[in-house]
Amino acid sequence: MKRFPPLLKVYCGMIYLFLYLPMGVMMAFSFNDARRNVVWKGFTLKWYGKLFANKELMASLATTIELGLIATAISVALGMLASYALARHVRMRGRSAYAGLLNVPMMMPEIVLGIGILTFLVRAQIELSFWTLVLSHVVFCLPYATGAIRARLLSLQSSSYEDAAMDLGATEWEAFYKITLPLTGPAILSGALLAFTVSFEDFVTSFFVAGGGIETLPIRIYAMMKFGITPEINAMATVLLVFTLAVLAAYHAVSGGDQESAL
Amino acid sequence: MTPGKAAPRSFGRIDAFLSSVVSGRLKGASHVLLAPSSLVLGLFLILPVVLILAISFTKRGPYGSLVWSFTTSNYLQALRPAYFPVLARSFLFAGVTTLLCLAIAYPLAYALSFFAGGFRGALILMLMVPFWNSCLVAIYSWMILLGREGLLNGLLLRLGLIQAPVQFLGTSFAVILGLVYFYLPFMVLPLYACLEKIPRSLIDASKDLGAGVATTFLKVTLPLSLPGVFAGCILTFVPCVGDFLTADFLGGTKTYLIGNLIANQFLAAQDWPFGGAMAAILIVILSTGIFAYLRLESGGPEADALKVR
Repeated sequence: MKRFPPLLKVYCGMIYLFLYLPMGVMMAFSFNDARRNVVWKGFTLKWYGKLFANKELMASLATTIELGLIATAISVALGMLASYALARHVRMRGRSAYAGLLNVPMMMPEIVLGIGILTFLVRAQIELSFWTLVLSHVVFCLPYATGAIRARLLSLQSSSYEDAAMDLGATEWEAFYKITLPLTGPAILSGALLAFTVSFEDFVTSFFVAGGGIETLPIRIYAMMKFGITPEINAMATVLLVFTLAVLAAYHAVSGGDQESAL
Repeated sequence: MTPGKAAPRSFGRIDAFLSSVVSGRLKGASHVLLAPSSLVLGLFLILPVVLILAISFTKRGPYGSLVWSFTTSNYLQALRPAYFPVLARSFLFAGVTTLLCLAIAYPLAYALSFFAGGFRGALILMLMVPFWNSCLVAIYSWMILLGREGLLNGLLLRLGLIQAPVQFLGTSFAVILGLVYFYLPFMVLPLYACLEKIPRSLIDASKDLGAGVATTFLKVTLPLSLPGVFAGCILTFVPCVGDFLTADFLGGTKTYLIGNLIANQFLAAQDWPFGGAMAAILIVILSTGIFAYLRLESGGPEADALKVR
C-alpha cells in the first residue's frame, strides 16, 4: 500500500469532522446545565430526567416502536417470500419487472410517497389509521428487508448444502426449512434491523399519512423543533442517535461487516 | 386406522405440495410468492403515483375538493412569478449541492480507495452513520451550530472576525450547507465503488510506460471513474430536488424549494391539483434519473472499459 499523503489525510480528517461535529455538539449540550446552548454551565442529567417524565413523549415513543416492529415483521415476511421467488425461480415470467418494482420505493422522493398515499387514501375514502400507516411504512421498508435476504439466498445457492441435503434424501421442502431457512436467518435479522431503523426514523411519510390521531416520535420532535432549540430536544435527539448507533452496530455484528447491502 | 399412520400420509401430501412451491415446479407459484409484496407496492406506491399524475390535470374545486375535468393550468401556474423562482431555486440548489458534493467527495473517495488500506471498511462505515441518522436530528444539530447564539457565531465573534452575530439560519448558505451534509455520502459511495473496480494493473502499466502521476490520473483513473461520477451525481441530484425538511428548518420563506411548496399545497393551501403538478415534476425528474442510472448500470462505453481484467 502506498503512503497516505499527509495533506490528503488532513483533508479526509476535516470531512469526517464536518460529518460528526454537529452531532457531537448536540450531544455535549444535552448534558449542559443551562437553558441556552451558548455557554457551558456544568454537567447535568436533568434534561434526560425531564424527558423520561414526559408522558406524551413516552407515548409517542411507544407508538413509534410498535409501528416499527409491526412494519418490520410484515416487510420481512413479504420480503422473504418475494426474495425467494426472485432469487430461486430464475425462469419465472416478469422477474425483472418484480425486481424493479421492489426497488422503486428507495428512489421515490419521500414527499411524493407521503402525499401520494394521502391522496389515495382520501380519494378511496379509507380512514387514516394506524394500519394505513403500517402499510405505508412497509412500502419503504421492503427494499431494505429484501436486499440482504436476496443476497444471502443467491450465495447459498452456489454452496452445496441444499444439494447435499437432497442427495441424503430430503425433499425440496425439507431442504428449504431445515437448511435454507436457518442459514438465511442472519440475513433476515440484518434486513429486519435496517427496516426497523428506517421505519423508526421516518418523518416525511408519517407526517402526511399519520392523520390527526397518531403521533410518532419524529412527528413529536418536528413539532418541538418548530418552537426552537431546547435542551430537551438535545436530550431526545441524543437518545435517538445512540439508539440508531446501537441498531447499526447490531446490524454490523450480524451481517459480518458486509456493507454492500447496507445502501 | 390409527392416527399415527394417517399423519405421515397427509404430511407427505403437504410436503409434496410445498416442495413443488419451493422448487417453482408448481405453475404460478412464483407469482403467488411475489403477490403480497406486489399488492402492497401496487396499492401504496404505484396507484398513489398514478393518482398524483391524474389529479395534477384536474381543477381545484371549492373547499379543496377536486373537479375532474382535464386542464393543464396547474402546470402553467408553476411558471407564474410567484412559483417559478421556487422551481428555479430547487434546480439551482440541487445543482450547486451536487457540484459541491462532487468536489468534496472525489478526493475523499480517491483517498479511501487508494491509500486507506485496512481502514477502508471502518471509514466507509463511518461515512454511513450520518446517513442512517435521523434527518431531523441532523438538521437539529445544524440549527444549534448556525443559530444567532450558536457556536459558529460565538467562534467568529471571539475571533473578532465579526462585530455582531450573523444571521445564518434562513439563508441559502444554510440550506446548501445542510444539503451538502446530507447528500455527501450519496456521492462518496458510488465514487468509491467505482474507483475500487479500477484494475490497479492499468495504473501500474501507465506508470511503467513512463506517465507521471498527474498524467496517469488524467488519462487512466479519471476516465475510468466517470461512471461513478455520473451515478453519484444522479443519486445526489434527484433526492436533493425533492428535499423538504432542510429548507423547512435551515431556510426561510425566501429559500423554499419544490418540496416545501408541495407540502404547503397539501397541508395548508389545500390546492391538491397544483401540489400534484409540482409532485409530477419531481416524478419526471426521478424517472429520468432512474433511466439514466439504469442505462449506466447496464452498459455504455464507460462500463465496458471497466470489464478489462
